Amino acid sequence: MFIALIKKQIKLLLRSPSEILTLFVMPIVLILILSYALGPLMEGDSEMTIIELAIIHHEDEEEQIQGFIDALPPNVVLDQKTSGNIENSLPVSMLVKELENNNEMKELIHVTQLDAKSLAEVKKSGDYDVVLEIPSNFTKEYLDAKFFDQEKPAFNVYLNESEQITSTIVKEIIDYFQQQYTLQSELSESGVIIDHTALSSQKIHSTIRSVDSLEEVPSSVYYTFSMTVMFMLFIAGTLASQSFIEKNTHIFDRILLARIHSSTYLLSIIVSSILFSLLQVFVLFTFSYFVFNISFANWELFLLLSILFSIVIGAIAALLSSINYRSNSAGASNLFSTAIVAILAFFGGSYFNISSLSPFIVNVGMLTPNGAALDGYLKIAQNGSLNDLLPNITVLSSLAFLLMLIAFLLFPKRGGIV
Amino acid sequence: MIEVVNLSKNFKRVTAVEQVNLYIEPGEIVGLLGPNGAGKSTTIAMLSTLISPTDGDVLLNHKSILKNPSELRGVLGVVPQEIALYEDLTAKENLQFFGSIQKMPKQLLAERIDIVLEQIGLQDEPKKLVKHYSGGMKRRLNIGVAMLHEPKYLIMDEPTVGIDPQSRNHILKTVKTLNENSNMAIIYTSHYMEEVEFLCNRIYIMDKGKIIASGTKEEIKAVLSSENTVHVKLEFHSKSFINDLMDQPMLSNINAKEAEITFTVAKGMDFLPMLLSLCEKNNVILKSFQVEEPTLEDVFLHLTGRALRN
Ligand SMILES: Nc1ncnc2c1ncn2[C@@H]1O[C@H](COP(=O)(O)OP(=O)(O)O)[C@@H](O)[C@H]1O
Ligand SMILES: [Mg+2]
Repeated sequence: MFIALIKKQIKLLLRSPSEILTLFVMPIVLILILSYALGPLMEGDSEMTIIELAIIHHEDEEEQIQGFIDALPPNVVLDQKTSGNIENSLPVSMLVKELENNNEMKELIHVTQLDAKSLAEVKKSGDYDVVLEIPSNFTKEYLDAKFFDQEKPAFNVYLNESEQITSTIVKEIIDYFQQQYTLQSELSESGVIIDHTALSSQKIHSTIRSVDSLEEVPSSVYYTFSMTVMFMLFIAGTLASQSFIEKNTHIFDRILLARIHSSTYLLSIIVSSILFSLLQVFVLFTFSYFVFNISFANWELFLLLSILFSIVIGAIAALLSSINYRSNSAGASNLFSTAIVAILAFFGGSYFNISSLSPFIVNVGMLTPNGAALDGYLKIAQNGSLNDLLPNITVLSSLAFLLMLIAFLLFPKRGGIV
Repeated sequence: MIEVVNLSKNFKRVTAVEQVNLYIEPGEIVGLLGPNGAGKSTTIAMLSTLISPTDGDVLLNHKSILKNPSELRGVLGVVPQEIALYEDLTAKENLQFFGSIQKMPKQLLAERIDIVLEQIGLQDEPKKLVKHYSGGMKRRLNIGVAMLHEPKYLIMDEPTVGIDPQSRNHILKTVKTLNENSNMAIIYTSHYMEEVEFLCNRIYIMDKGKIIASGTKEEIKAVLSSENTVHVKLEFHSKSFINDLMDQPMLSNINAKEAEITFTVAKGMDFLPMLLSLCEKNNVILKSFQVEEPTLEDVFLHLTGRALRN
């Protein structure tokens, strides 16, 4: 009988041409338009050029390692294997190795290693697109941080402002640190040196993050996600309007007379919204997969986030239905579809990347369901981990819980006229 | 047996239903007759547990169901005054849906759908979307949905409003057969007295929230047993003639529509000489006149001083 409620809902939606237009066709058209029209603007010169990367050393890595080993407490003994591991996992040499040995990368990035004296000159010359400055004591501090839980060092990244940096290098740097991260866990799992090994990549990671602003994903990726989350919101308004028709035409009375509890009915609205949201995500993502070659390699995370956001959509649909039923008008769902979606879309960054506006707006955006979902999708697209998604997951689950709670409390228990 | 006892409903400014008492026993057809706004739908909604009364009680087999309406809902089929159907589903899909939520077994449901489609005369177009149906077909499906699960009591709220005479006849016949063959008890709400007169054994007449008369057709008409209704047709309209009629103490309920006039007069009263002399006096020609047994319409007119239909 619950299945019948769901089946009916889906049938009705799929039979309504205007809903299909709003939920599937419009987002696809918008993704296409925005990606092609605003894409070049967003990405700068999209022509492939070799990126000149300069790495400036303020230190001698070997010396730094020796310094680290010398400073070890006498009760810690390093065996051959561990020292080897340490040398292999040094961030700077790893980066260089990675860039020079990877054939694809070699075509994109040209690395030059320079010493500290040339920094000022290099920065001024404009010969390099990216300058990586390794401060003195970086390696030792990095090792200290890793093994003794000390303050983690950062390094500086200078971008040549006259040239737009493509996203590739940034992504490469992130990949590199991701790799670092795994290596470290392996090292600590072997348990050789110290048991309270801290994962040190976080600080460095965040330094990089600031370079890797959201703008650096291709516009097709950005707009696939931003339009998807925006148009998923419409599902909530649509289903709430539809459920109000059921009250208005006294179909809801018939449902109650069939001895279906009003909460069961409300739950059916939620479940239908969730199913429909997932269908919408699937359609839009599949479209972008084939048209833009967007990768959904981390599909488990995409699925997790999509399910969570769909549940929030269900909760919004339930809340709007409850308000509609209470007020005996379709006002709430109409207001939502005509105005509130637009406001949420603005703060959630669906029209353009709001991070350029102000930190305050960014914070507000993260509290909107669509903003939290969009941010989450972008993180996954940039190879973020489950950990990176925690704030998004928290926001979405809290919203889902809160909205559903209010919806169930508000929903009238009898039909007809309250 | 379903009973409502001293049932009242106040909305913010209006008292829609006031101290209404009525009952229905298994197998009978009961009519609820009254003009628009009388409070019929509100009474029905309380009786079918869809709104809660301000005062009074609803009983199923002498037990109040206000706290736990589930048992009553289980034996009810309700035909709302509105078309409570999904316009974007077909007739069959509508029946399928409403049957499924009644938790009817699959096999039984399939059989019942065919039977009901036949009964409501939609067997030829079960796969058409409801929105493409005529008003009469929608009304019929509206009834079909309510009787799908073979309820003991079928409550119909103005099931023939706004449809063609053919559909209307079909519905009336269906209702009668349903009651006779399946022994379904029916509460039939209407503002058409001839429908109620045709269908119902017992009748409640409602006006301004109150029951103003109740009983069998004969009992109710006995209210007017001492009176006859007279229809008079003139050759042309005459204001002075009507005014003169109104001055006659032996006539009451005078109602004039152009050249057609009705009034009631006590049985046995010889009004003909008076009528003829008034014609002569006002220079009007009497085309015809007819003395009739009272109808429910006349009863309503008698009780309220107003016509049932406006
Ligand atoms: N929800 C409501 N709020 C306020 N007044 C109502 C409501 N429903 C019905 N009424 C009023 O109650 C009276 C009876 O209405 P109703 O039961 O629909 O009459 P009927 O069905 O006999 O035409 C009318 O005056 C109507 O305006
Ligand atoms: Mg009514």
